[in-house]
Amino acid sequence: MTVESRKQALRFFFGKVVEPLGFKFSPDEELVVFLLEQEVALEAKHGIPFCPCQPLRHDRVRDMHIVCPCIPFHRQHFDAMKRCWCGLYVHQDVTDPDSLPQLSKKEMGLE
Amino acid sequence: MNETFTRAIRTEEIAPGGMKVVLASGRELVICHCDDGRFYAIARRCGHMNAPLEMGTLDGVILTCAMHCAQFDITTGEALSGSVPAYLGDETLPPRTAAYLTNVGMLMQPIHTESIATYPVKVESGWVLVAV
Repeated sequence: MTVESRKQALRFFFGKVVEPLGFKFSPDEELVVFLLEQEVALEAKHGIPFCPCQPLRHDRVRDMHIVCPCIPFHRQHFDAMKRCWCGLYVHQDVTDPDSLPQLSKKEMGLE
Repeated sequence: MNETFTRAIRTEEIAPGGMKVVLASGRELVICHCDDGRFYAIARRCGHMNAPLEMGTLDGVILTCAMHCAQFDITTGEALSGSVPAYLGDETLPPRTAAYLTNVGMLMQPIHTESIATYPVKVESGWVLVAV
């Protein structure tokens, strides 16, 4: 088992989940590779590929909401940003991911 | 290397995305039929804890074992992940059950997931042939 082969496997499975949700992997391939690598490390440690950009709270229900791809649990927020929190996924029409701001729910007036 | 192929199973016996166990030259193999129509042959036993792999699920070329969710690439046999930790809920377990599970967990801790063997396959006249 290598980091590279696990990254490929995660990419395969995640792609099947996010496409029907209207998302795709970011065109920023360097970012995608980096984030998937972090998820492989988190999966090796916890057994679950958590989002690498959000803190674990050691509260099962809340932590399950940040298992990648966590889009269904944060749909309104991510749709408003056209990206997920860490930028691994963007809306399918996005070609320039750098133009998308990372804004909290509060900043977007969603809470 | 001179490979001798033997008939393993008829192609129509496995639906795309399915798997079946066969015995070839005394070895237990799983013949996998991918969605794209290709066939692969792998050793039957999971590289984690020997569970029968045909009871798992095949997604593309990635097979997930039904027992602890270890995953394998059926084209190479490479292990793609270890086992997934079980979640037993937040309720307090009866003491004897908890002690048993703690013991099992301790025994499972050092178990690594090994890659599995793959075997050359070809399709001829409606048969899947495998070289064991």
